[in-house]
Amino acid sequence: MRAALAIAGVELRRFVKDKGNVFFTFIFPLLLVFVLGSQFGGSGNAGRVTLTGPSSDLRTAVAEQLESQEVSVSFADHDAMLEQVARGRTDVGLVVDQEAATSYDDGGTAQVEMIPGSATTSMAAQEQVRVAVTNLDLHQVQLTALEDAGIPGSEAAQALDDAAGQVAEPTLEVVNVDSLSQEFQGLGQFDLGASSQLLLFTFLTSLAGSSTLINARRQGVMARSLAAPVSTTQAVLGQALGRWVIAFFQGGYIMLATWLLFSVDWGNIGLSLLILAVFALVAAGAAMVLGSILDNEGAAVGAGVGLGLVLAAIGGGMAPLEIFSDTMRRVAHITPHAWGYDAFAEVQRRGGTLVDILPQLGVLAAMAAAALLLGAWLLRRSMARSL
Amino acid sequence: MRNLFTLLRTDLVQRLRDKSVIIFAVIVPLALMGAMNLVMGDAMDGDLETATVAVSAPADDQLAQTLVGVLPEIGLDVEITETDADDARARAEAGDAKLGLVIPEGFSSALMAGQPAEITAIRGDGAGIESTVVLSVIQGFLDRAAASAVATTAGANLGLAPAQLGGLAQQVATGESALTLATGEASNEQLDPKGALVAGQAGLFLMFTVSFGVLGLLAEREFGTLARLRSMPMNPQLVVVSKVLSSFVLGVVATAILLTVGGRLFDVDFGSPLPIGVLIVSAVIATTSLTFIVIKLAKTSEQASIIQTILAMVLGIAGGAFFPMSGGGVLGTILDLNPVAAMIRGLGITSGGGGLADILTPVLIMLGFAAVAMLIARVVPDRGAMA
Repeated sequence: MRAALAIAGVELRRFVKDKGNVFFTFIFPLLLVFVLGSQFGGSGNAGRVTLTGPSSDLRTAVAEQLESQEVSVSFADHDAMLEQVARGRTDVGLVVDQEAATSYDDGGTAQVEMIPGSATTSMAAQEQVRVAVTNLDLHQVQLTALEDAGIPGSEAAQALDDAAGQVAEPTLEVVNVDSLSQEFQGLGQFDLGASSQLLLFTFLTSLAGSSTLINARRQGVMARSLAAPVSTTQAVLGQALGRWVIAFFQGGYIMLATWLLFSVDWGNIGLSLLILAVFALVAAGAAMVLGSILDNEGAAVGAGVGLGLVLAAIGGGMAPLEIFSDTMRRVAHITPHAWGYDAFAEVQRRGGTLVDILPQLGVLAAMAAAALLLGAWLLRRSMARSL
Repeated sequence: MRNLFTLLRTDLVQRLRDKSVIIFAVIVPLALMGAMNLVMGDAMDGDLETATVAVSAPADDQLAQTLVGVLPEIGLDVEITETDADDARARAEAGDAKLGLVIPEGFSSALMAGQPAEITAIRGDGAGIESTVVLSVIQGFLDRAAASAVATTAGANLGLAPAQLGGLAQQVATGESALTLATGEASNEQLDPKGALVAGQAGLFLMFTVSFGVLGLLAEREFGTLARLRSMPMNPQLVVVSKVLSSFVLGVVATAILLTVGGRLFDVDFGSPLPIGVLIVSAVIATTSLTFIVIKLAKTSEQASIIQTILAMVLGIAGGAFFPMSGGGVLGTILDLNPVAAMIRGLGITSGGGGLADILTPVLIMLGFAAVAMLIARVVPDRGAMA
């Protein structure tokens, strides 16, 4: 075992010392967690509206009304607004021009132009704008109605103020029973991105790192190891352990860094590390298989990155498994990523215990055993093959 | 010229024999597009569905019935199923209705008497944008109903007769707002989600494809053939030019293949071939220009591969290769100056029917990017393959 540990130690040192790994191991995963959290994390809003036109009471009133409806409001000149709408960077453009502002100030009628975006997602913002604009002067409508009933303006205004305090506003209570929002309830801005990127990078780094195994075979490192008093089993075990150490190191680093930088809640840390450890075993096995069946480092990096990305896409590393169709969710579970995703979801979101994640760990362990045995067998065979 | 042609032909043949070119330029991006389309196909399908609403509303309640009557007229397919409260809730929970709506007994009388009145909306599985639109309409209705109740209370406080109060309530509930909304139009420069996926992946992997020229140059040096080439009776710069040209040719061919095959697979129409061709060539010029910098910096093919991969991933993801990136102000401008983003933007314009004149901005961005990269390449001291 000492020989195997020594080989594994060398593999980890080689990995850490390789400057090329610095960006992809230490910086890139965190960048992606940050980008995903910034773009998709956190609470959503009721759409984006860009207002254009000179500063006026009407423009301010429209903006305040929209903001009170949780719509994200920005201002731009007319051409910039049209470009934003055309490019989908805002859902709706709203033109409050000088003529409308003056007419509104003078108590007359005014027309506001809405420029809707072409994406269907802009429908919600369009409706928000429609409600905001048509209900903006409700106070004036109330006043007019009272004046029409013969009440003088000032008296009517005072009466409306008094009545507003007496009337309880009707409320709309929205209850979310859809599994998606319940599933993600209470999840931090960066939590989902962190666990999916952990799975993606742990696996991808391992697969792409299989090129070092090919390099070791090419340079005769494996053959020289066997010249020492080291058995083939020990050498293969050392390589497997080396792959596992690299994968676990990558995942552990992502866990630690995202916890420190983005306050990602990993739930029970012991259980999360256990999931990572078992998942890293699968990654190690897969790396050994790839590093043994391919004889070209460039092709191994290409296949590793490609496979790493594709498996992550299928297994929930790029989009939450919860938005997959039922069929695709079943297909996703041919990947270890999906089982890792489920286990992290159990621990991170639902405070799951060891018993709760045993099924996922069991499947991952079985996948790891199969991949490691196949990898060891292929590596043994590859040692006899000339490069 | 003949020398250059010979060098270029040799380079292209070598690159085509290299498995990693085919893997990175065509197979991985197509596999990734396929995987992402499979798992996110439903989420990327942007069509609005019918908003199925299960409503429990007292039959003899005027306001409740008015609200139910308003829903089918909101410019969205709305399918109303009138039922009891428990069933409305159950349908939403079971996913049979996108929205369950429970309007309590005595809703109108409570509201008009200024007493608390609450409508409960239950968002079911797959509630989507449709239910958000319906909820927005209901909120607008309630705002107006509340204004009507306030006016009626004010009228009552002022001693108006019951008959007048009825007219007052009606006038506020249905009164025309002084503000009207006109709907304008902006051009459409957006790709649908599937189009954005194909264009984004083509842009990302273009960055990898053009890197093979530099890698070829460094391989020449590592194999010792570069020195021999430089001893030939020809301008030594032709060696670099041939590598850059091979990158250019590979980039144009691979991107054309990805956009054509991707477009066919995912049923995306990118528009007229001529402007698309101009966009591809501009994007390839922009990304290939980066290789001049990499040639100056990288001493080994491993270093070149790492620098190019960092550039590809950073520019690709920031450009919207996996998901659209949005940002305002300076951030938005920086995101716009990215060649991958400019190519996706250009393809958005062509897919909306834009021609050569319309894609001027993205083309200028890409050519400007190339000019700046070439300038930087001239200033950066040569530490790389040709040093």
